[in-house]
Amino acid sequence: MSTLLGRIDVILRSRQAVQERPSASALLWTVGCIAFFGFLYGAVMGAFGGIGGERLWQVLYSAVKVPLLLLGTSLIAWPSFLVLNTLAGLRDDFARATAALLAAQAGLVIVLASLAPLTIVWYASSGSYPDALRFNGAMFAIAALAGQWLLRDHYRLLVERDSRHRWMFWTWLALFIFVAIQMAWVMRPFIGDPSAPTEFFRRDKWGNAYLVVARLIYHAVVR
Amino acid sequence: MKRWWKELDRLLRGEATQGSVLGAGDFRIPVGGLLLMALTLAALYGVCMGFFAGFRDGGPVFLQWLAGTLKVPALFFLTLVVTFPSLYVFNALVGSRLSFAAVFQLLVAALAVNVAVLASLGPIVAFFSVSTTSYPFILLLNVLVFITAGVFGFTFMLRILRGLWGARGQMASTSPIRELEKPESQGGNELTLNAMAEETTAVSLANRGPIIDRRVKNVFVCWMVVAGLVCAQMSWVLRPILGKPTEAFHWFSPRESNFFEAVWDAFRTLLS
Repeated sequence: MSTLLGRIDVILRSRQAVQERPSASALLWTVGCIAFFGFLYGAVMGAFGGIGGERLWQVLYSAVKVPLLLLGTSLIAWPSFLVLNTLAGLRDDFARATAALLAAQAGLVIVLASLAPLTIVWYASSGSYPDALRFNGAMFAIAALAGQWLLRDHYRLLVERDSRHRWMFWTWLALFIFVAIQMAWVMRPFIGDPSAPTEFFRRDKWGNAYLVVARLIYHAVVR
Repeated sequence: MKRWWKELDRLLRGEATQGSVLGAGDFRIPVGGLLLMALTLAALYGVCMGFFAGFRDGGPVFLQWLAGTLKVPALFFLTLVVTFPSLYVFNALVGSRLSFAAVFQLLVAALAVNVAVLASLGPIVAFFSVSTTSYPFILLLNVLVFITAGVFGFTFMLRILRGLWGARGQMASTSPIRELEKPESQGGNELTLNAMAEETTAVSLANRGPIIDRRVKNVFVCWMVVAGLVCAQMSWVLRPILGKPTEAFHWFSPRESNFFEAVWDAFRTLLS
């Protein structure tokens, strides 16, 4: 337990979280950390409609979806990040950069999990689904900011070594956010409307997040 | 295959285009292997692009998927075939000392970088293709991805050109064309002496000036723009690469409209 807390502490304080040559086991541990804490917050998030009967499935679905959202998005964006790093002449630092990205994501889910008690209190005090959506959105925004803060910190050493890493930092953020928004859209529902049936994906409602937002803006401005 | 993969990796890492390598006029890559790698990666992107046809609402259209997989490498190969001759001719006309083989190597290297970036963006395109039913969106996303990859390919080529501009190498004096121009030993004293004099002048010029000058660089920049336009129109000629969900599968479409009009239409229908 103390080892686990020690490792979490290292990630949060950015102390030696990213080794010069990260080992496979260290990377695997970080992935495990993302899966575990993501699962934890996801389970809490999916408990809005209760945990009895069929609603338990929603708890499980949401618990699986949060780590899947982060790891799936990273997996999709990672190949292009690898090629762009190589093109920028930063391939030798790539293992370290990958470790930094994973450590930042681990930090993000740890922050998210630490906010889970607040979410429980919110659920206990309000039965409004739109409010629950907004509250979870706010929790994710806070965690994402913390994650970005950690990533900057982990990247600082890399940037000091070579300023081109700064560009790669922003490139990763752009790639990750671009894919993550659509991934989150596809993976709806995360909370689960209590008046709707429990389901993993909203079948026939996949669509495209960007298109929906673009159309909303277009119709608001033009019509 | 592993060797070519390593060569591509070397190219992406910039080891094949380092200042010292270009300075020595020693920009050499295995053209055949790298071209094959580039076409394979282009086919891989075609597979990712084909996910849109594979996960269509009315059921998968496997022939469209196959067509996309074949057409993306064909698109790059045909663009190279169409634009290479004019580049070499203009390059020679403005006095570049880059040989035919060197120009071809340069283009294949840039193509390989372009396609490597394209293929690396493939998973993102595949993900959006699976989760989106909007044809205009996927069309515009693919156009954006192709432009992004193209920019990297062009930037890579410019980097090599910059290196060559500064290089006072021996590429011209040892180029395949110069080798062919070397006189046979039994060709007569006068011819041999004249040829030797020319050779000496060429070598001394090669050692004195850069391999290319500003005019050659301008020719390459103009060519890059032309190649981009040709590639865009070639994709229109080879259409349907993605396959409209409202149309039945067909290998090629009749001649009508053009690429830019189609992209503009897609942009308009996206928001309507």
